[in-house]
Amino acid sequence: MSTENASSATSSTTSSNKLKNAAGEYLTFVLGEEQYGLEILKVQEIRGYDSVTQIANTPEFIKGVVNLRGKIVPIVDLRIKFQLGKVEYDEFTVVIILNLNGRVVGIVVDGVSDVMALKEDQIRDVPSLVSNIDTKYIVGLASVEEQMFILVDIEQLMSSQEMALMDAVAVH
Amino acid sequence: MTIDMSQFYEVFFDEAEELLAEAERLLLGIDLDSPDDEELNAIFRAAHSIKGGAATFGFMDMTEITHVLENLLDKIRKHEMALTAEHVDAFLAAKDVLKMELDGHRLATAVDQDQVSDVKMVLKSLSEAGGVIVSAAHEPKAAPAVAAQAPIVEAPKPAEPVAVQAAVPDDGLNHFNIELPEVSEKDMTNLQDELGLLGEVVASKNDKGRYVFKLATDSTQADIISICSFVLDPDDLIITVSTNVAAASAPVEVKAAVVEDAGFGLFEDDIAPKAVSASAPTEDATANSSGVKIHEEVGYGLFSSDGKDNVEEGYGFFAPFRPHKDAEVAELIGDDTVATEANSGAVAVAKVEVASQVAGAPGGVERRSPGRRETDKAAATAETTSIRVGIEKVDQLINLVGELVITQAMIEQRISNLDPVLHEPLINSVGQLTRNTRDLQESVMSIRMMPMDFVFSRFPRMVRDLAAKLGKKLDFVTVGAATELDKGLIERIVDPLTHLVRNSVDHGIESPAGRKAAGKPETGTLTLSAAHKGGSIVIEVTDDGAGLDRNKLLAKAAKNGLPVSESMSDTDVFNLIFAPGFSTAEVVTDVSGRGVGMDVVKRNITAMNGVVEIRSALGYGTTISIALPLTLAILDGMSVSLGNSIYVIPLNLIVETLQPRAEDIKTVTGEGRMVHVRGEYLPIIALHSLFNHHTDITDPTQGVLVLLESDGKKSALFVDRLVGQQQVVIKSLETNYRKVPGVSGATIMGDGGVALILDVSAIIQMGQTSNYLTGAPPFAHYQSAQLIEKNSNP
Repeated sequence: MSTENASSATSSTTSSNKLKNAAGEYLTFVLGEEQYGLEILKVQEIRGYDSVTQIANTPEFIKGVVNLRGKIVPIVDLRIKFQLGKVEYDEFTVVIILNLNGRVVGIVVDGVSDVMALKEDQIRDVPSLVSNIDTKYIVGLASVEEQMFILVDIEQLMSSQEMALMDAVAVH
Repeated sequence: MTIDMSQFYEVFFDEAEELLAEAERLLLGIDLDSPDDEELNAIFRAAHSIKGGAATFGFMDMTEITHVLENLLDKIRKHEMALTAEHVDAFLAAKDVLKMELDGHRLATAVDQDQVSDVKMVLKSLSEAGGVIVSAAHEPKAAPAVAAQAPIVEAPKPAEPVAVQAAVPDDGLNHFNIELPEVSEKDMTNLQDELGLLGEVVASKNDKGRYVFKLATDSTQADIISICSFVLDPDDLIITVSTNVAAASAPVEVKAAVVEDAGFGLFEDDIAPKAVSASAPTEDATANSSGVKIHEEVGYGLFSSDGKDNVEEGYGFFAPFRPHKDAEVAELIGDDTVATEANSGAVAVAKVEVASQVAGAPGGVERRSPGRRETDKAAATAETTSIRVGIEKVDQLINLVGELVITQAMIEQRISNLDPVLHEPLINSVGQLTRNTRDLQESVMSIRMMPMDFVFSRFPRMVRDLAAKLGKKLDFVTVGAATELDKGLIERIVDPLTHLVRNSVDHGIESPAGRKAAGKPETGTLTLSAAHKGGSIVIEVTDDGAGLDRNKLLAKAAKNGLPVSESMSDTDVFNLIFAPGFSTAEVVTDVSGRGVGMDVVKRNITAMNGVVEIRSALGYGTTISIALPLTLAILDGMSVSLGNSIYVIPLNLIVETLQPRAEDIKTVTGEGRMVHVRGEYLPIIALHSLFNHHTDITDPTQGVLVLLESDGKKSALFVDRLVGQQQVVIKSLETNYRKVPGVSGATIMGDGGVALILDVSAIIQMGQTSNYLTGAPPFAHYQSAQLIEKNSNP
């Protein structure tokens, strides 16, 4: 399992290679009409959305920071980022707290559905298409019982420059 | 500036003890054939740190030993000399001597000067001769516990027999005859006075020209010995005891370990006895029929002559004494015969005999005097109550208390909806909970906070002494001593700062003559400063000395085989001094110059997630700047509200707060707003427009102006209202997020929410450069940069 993590974390390799190592357990979540999946081992916990302190002059999708048991954790709303789903915050809003190499980040999604184990042969290559999520952050597509899941390399995505979550992006 | 250095002694003692223990651990684990360089370096660093600390506090005896030790270690570390078993032994012996001296300072126990000079000699001879000869005099001490081999190795200091005689009067007191070795008249009188505190003393001279005290006391022999040991070597004492038990029966011959132990308060027995291989117990192992039944008790009651206060009197002497254990390890037990005549009725004395007997028997007994000393120490340090706790534990505690506060706030909120009449008891209880929680939080927070003064005030003395020693003149200035810093950081910053200050005095500041020649005032200036800056605490050591010589550094680096080139930037060149073993000093003094300091500094700072930076100009001086992250720091803050958010402003940067009148608000070219405060016009920075934050209050007269001063610039920050003043724990935003312009960190408020801490100097700068008043969005540059990045991302 850990080798899969490691390799998917550094998946600048070809997509077929990506697929090879993509098997594993995924947490699936909903954004708008679409089903997504992310590696379960990156998930620290799932919690509700509350009392976010907004930060000045940040992109709209960065909602702010919350206190997670003494840690200051940024919250990103993927619905805003990818323009999917209805952006509203209520008691059903779900935040997935991710632990990416020691950095803790929360993402707001429309809902969390399931945890599934995916085998290699269930995962297909990504066709090149236009999407809001750059295909380089997509590991592959999985189809389970007529449903399609988009498997996201969440670590690559969250540390990407466009997320503006890391200091490399900071402009002075 | 006068400082009571003794308040820091305890810290040094603790540190030194840790370092010694660490050094010992490393020494014991070292592989003689292929010693690990890193380990050697670590041992060296430990010695160096102890030396530094000891010198700071003026414990010259420890400095001397460590200096010699360090010389030797340095040679080995640089592979100029091969590490041999003798070295390790000598190092261990030195460690023990250091420990003894440390205890001497700490607990006022006696220090065996002979042993000290022995060890010093050994180290010196090793360091000079390449470690060939180990003279007989020290070998026994150094030899690590070897099991009894050849009977009889000459003890380092053959102790004279202690004769304990039973018989005589019946007055409830012990009667001791104490025969002193040759001592001066003065010592004798001192001793007599001291002993006089215990009971009646009669002094006389015996036929050998020695002084003899007759002492009637209810104290024990151990007490007497410990008193005597301040003045003379207890091994040279001859004490005869007369107990109060009249019915003397079969006298018992005892071979005792007591001679060594009699040196209570002496430390060489830690090592020496081990080495003094047990001689055959020979004689009468069986002689003392009387005491056999009390084997189990031999651990205590040594020397107790009335059999009552066994424990106390035994003073833990033989506490770790486990008869008949480890039969083969018959360490020690001198052949120094102690002829004790006691009657079998004198229980305690008989016990002594048994103990001794057992010890002397070939079956052997593990005798561990360190354990004994531990007991003494426990007694001695019972009053000094400080414990060292891992910072993670404190952190965890603080986080837990934070959680508790939040939970408590939640409960409070819940019950506020309840009918106060119906639920009065509950509401009262919650009130109590609130108070207790607040107290708890305050106490927990206070665990970690300390002013930098705690560190700074160590230095004036050190600097003075150093300057005097080196014949330099300098003024020592501290700035920002009130800056509060987390205790964890304070403790860890001491070592690096000590090194930096020493380096500055030794290498930085030139001699008065040199300074004169360079056209500078004879008296140099050394400044130590601390301040909160941006997201960090910056501690700087600045001297107006010679500065770093780029060419010299490069030459030295090339000689040391470091990869350097002429084209390196100044910063890179200066950073060379952080390489292990790098020193540009021509002469290695006992102050500095071994190149160990900077290596340690860098290591320690990096371990704290800090950054060290060197700024230097040849001929003008050097500044070494240490920036520590705020993660652990605590800040006195003023919380202000803006819309529905709370921001915290560092209190020390606030000049005053005011609610302006309309006529005090002026505009410049109809745009930039200024406020007129007591003859000064200050620019108004509206936080809501700077941060793009929605608020209903956009007219300064409706809100509050907070006058800020940073880097000599003043501005008025316009916020909605003041909320309150409080101490906050600064949390880094960068741990999980990134740096945000205008924000130095975040903190968790009482209600569990997050509040951002404003970076005042950045805000003042932003206020000046930003054109927010003209309608263009602030951070336009920031946002456009975002866009560019986005676009450049295919």
